[in-house]
Amino acid sequence: MLTSLWNSFRLTRVGRSVFRVGLPQSNLERAQVAISSFFLHFQPAKVNRRSLKFRTTLGLGLISLYLFLILVATGVLLMFYYVPATEHAYQNMKDLEFVVTAGQVLRNMHRWAAHLMVLFVGLHMCRAFYTAAYKPPREFNWVVGVCLFLLTLGLSFTGYLLPWDQLAYWAITVGTSIAGYAPLIGQKLKFLFLGGHVVGESALIRFYVLHVIVLPLAAIMLIALHIWRVRKDGGLARPDEAQPARQDMPQLPVTKTYGLMELARGSTPAVGIKPEDEVFTWPNVVFREILLFMATIAVVLVLAIFWNAPLEQIANPVHPPNPAKAPWYFLGLQELVAYSAFWGGVVVPGLLVTALIVLPYIDRKPKGVGVWFSKERKTAVTIFTVCLATAVILTVIGTAFRGPNWSFQLPWRPVHVEEGSH
Amino acid sequence: MDTPLRKLYPWFTLLGLVIGCLVIAAFYKDQHREWKDWQRQYIKDELARASTPEQRSDAARLQLEVRQIVLPDLDRVDRCTSCHVAVEDPSYAGFPLPRSYHPNHDRHPFNKFGCTICHQGQGRATTRDAAHGKVEHWDQPMLDLKYVQSACAKCHLPGDIPEAPQLARGRAIFEESGCIGCHKLHGSGGVVGPELDAVGAHRSPEWLMKHFKNPAAVTPGSPMPPLKATDPDLDALTLYVLSFTGEPLSAYYVSMKTIPGPLAGRRLFEEKGCIGCHSVAGKGGTVGPALDEVAKRHNPEWISAHFRNPSAVSPGTVMPQFNFNEQEIRALTEFLLSLSDTNIVGFMKIPSLMTATERGKAVYKKYGCAGCHAAEGKGGIPNPNSKTAEQVPGLKFVSEGYTKEELKKRILDGQKEIPVMDPKRPPAPLYMPAWRGRIAEGELADLMEYLLSLAPKGEKVDF
Repeated sequence: MLTSLWNSFRLTRVGRSVFRVGLPQSNLERAQVAISSFFLHFQPAKVNRRSLKFRTTLGLGLISLYLFLILVATGVLLMFYYVPATEHAYQNMKDLEFVVTAGQVLRNMHRWAAHLMVLFVGLHMCRAFYTAAYKPPREFNWVVGVCLFLLTLGLSFTGYLLPWDQLAYWAITVGTSIAGYAPLIGQKLKFLFLGGHVVGESALIRFYVLHVIVLPLAAIMLIALHIWRVRKDGGLARPDEAQPARQDMPQLPVTKTYGLMELARGSTPAVGIKPEDEVFTWPNVVFREILLFMATIAVVLVLAIFWNAPLEQIANPVHPPNPAKAPWYFLGLQELVAYSAFWGGVVVPGLLVTALIVLPYIDRKPKGVGVWFSKERKTAVTIFTVCLATAVILTVIGTAFRGPNWSFQLPWRPVHVEEGSH
Repeated sequence: MDTPLRKLYPWFTLLGLVIGCLVIAAFYKDQHREWKDWQRQYIKDELARASTPEQRSDAARLQLEVRQIVLPDLDRVDRCTSCHVAVEDPSYAGFPLPRSYHPNHDRHPFNKFGCTICHQGQGRATTRDAAHGKVEHWDQPMLDLKYVQSACAKCHLPGDIPEAPQLARGRAIFEESGCIGCHKLHGSGGVVGPELDAVGAHRSPEWLMKHFKNPAAVTPGSPMPPLKATDPDLDALTLYVLSFTGEPLSAYYVSMKTIPGPLAGRRLFEEKGCIGCHSVAGKGGTVGPALDEVAKRHNPEWISAHFRNPSAVSPGTVMPQFNFNEQEIRALTEFLLSLSDTNIVGFMKIPSLMTATERGKAVYKKYGCAGCHAAEGKGGIPNPNSKTAEQVPGLKFVSEGYTKEELKKRILDGQKEIPVMDPKRPPAPLYMPAWRGRIAEGELADLMEYLLSLAPKGEKVDF
């Protein structure tokens, strides 16, 4: 019945003006719909069958994108209530919890989706590394990805301050003081971020503007570029054996093409070459994407219903918690800073980001592309794994094993220090 | 090509159902609030109780809604009345909580004061536990009713309001115990312990009680000696200390502190020399009547009228007309009324009537000497590892050990280094602070007068 309703709408003058192709019935229409729809044209009309396999990407990039969309939607709704002023911000959180319809669920979704996004963007980057997806011709898209990772951290970090509770206030105080360790520009940079020497009203408004305008716009543009480049660079990275050598295949006349999909350089699924290995984006890819979106929403909803986003006491600049901790994704850095402010706060993060950016220009040999943990890339995989493991271990130590005065403690035996003791 | 897609369809159905259920669950959780149950019951009661058509239409208009008192001046939004829906309706007196009537609020109307300014708790919250503040990350849970008088001190001077006798009692104990000798309050006091200006805002009554009984139990290593007092006294002290919230209030509320009460009245009483003709506690002139029991002979209106024009209410009186303004009249009246109130007589004494020794005793109290040397200089407060028998020395026999000059020097310069019994152990925590610049010349003279008077008559000790 739904189908007949849809069909009768589709054939009206309005329906035809909106949906140019309609639900595709033939292969021609399947190609057309992917090309003529704005929302589908980011993807090619046909993809390699391998792209459909879950283990190719584990869906990590898509999940990151979906989390971003959830964050935009919930974030815009939250903006209707939030006032970025120190005397209102915290009270807004309380009002969301106690009197705004579904306010708490909204805030919970935003909070948990933000944490998940940091996690999944990180995992997505690991996937790209372990399947050597940064190798030519995808070098630049890897760099765009690194920028997106930094933007994600920036978005999460700027949002962290907005509830204006003790957790927010001191995490930002600690986080920005790490930035202050950079030589020469560190203190200037910190002043620029905070609009002062301490976290206060001007820091709140700066973080707010960054969080709701500057960084999301930058992220939207880079995400569009990132996805567009995936298509332009020949779809998902895949090993050579997945694309048969051209000379083995009968070459079809050059004039013959399917639909209007791209004919590009490199490993683009070229027309006439093993056509049985490719499938139409509609519905094969689109349906799976929708399913993954539904699953992502379901997980975020479960988290939001059963676990409330943290909200501590209102920010109190004279009562620091002990220990004051940065957001979890910076706790590895804070742990390093505890050993040496210069090495932990400047050298290590600086080197890491630089290494990530120059990686595809150094490691260029087209070995192991599209293969998980390829044996041909033992050195690269080992180095990356060691760095990753170190980062994870440092983060876990900083999160769970650090108690008052940053002293070592076991998470199941927390040390309590009497506040204000003398 | 369509065949493999078919196996995706159950997943669409399943995930669609899961998301649908989750959205319903989220809204159910959001919409199901206990205040709605209480308001439903209230509306039912109102409909049942309505007897006139007017009442019935009023009751029919009642809606389920978050009720709130918005108090921008107090930086509060109190939603307590969402559950405590009948606090202003006397016909609900005696009903079980939360639907009962709140008596005695005529001088503190809800629309100007709300609820949490006195009771604490979390006014913005709309669930019971959160609203009563008994949740994590909320520092001010609802005050036990026995401590609720501490809130009076936010707007009133402790001792200024006879309706809060516990507050006055707590203040008296605070002063007698010499807390100020080590702790700073409102800018004056010692530096050995932490400042107390906002201590009531983040300490619980339980913590304070424990702290008074055994400071080291809640703050390891604290040199503060335990207070020896009865539980009711410690309760009063806790109540008084809880009143140090450091919360800034707008002028409308704190102006209560400048509206003349008995303390201002006492000052006027002294300045105008009333004592020249009248007596209090057996001291003063005899031209006019004694004033100790004046509240029993006359009502407040009579006393006020008397200040306005003495001969109008008591013809033939020799008392001159002082041309007091209305505020001064109110202050003096309050003061006279307070004279018969035993609860606050402790600090209503009139300094100009005291002897130097009595004044010295007040100085001893004012600077918190008793905190270390105990009341009346009895000594006995532990000071581990100090050479003087591990105690702060008593002051009973200073008249034998010191000349006046030596004593004066000792008080003004203090003694930072306390001789120890055992150099290997940590140094004694308590020491004698220097009072130079902090104690007035006249006060010092009075204090020495008091200290030298402490030696019991006829007793001698060998030094």
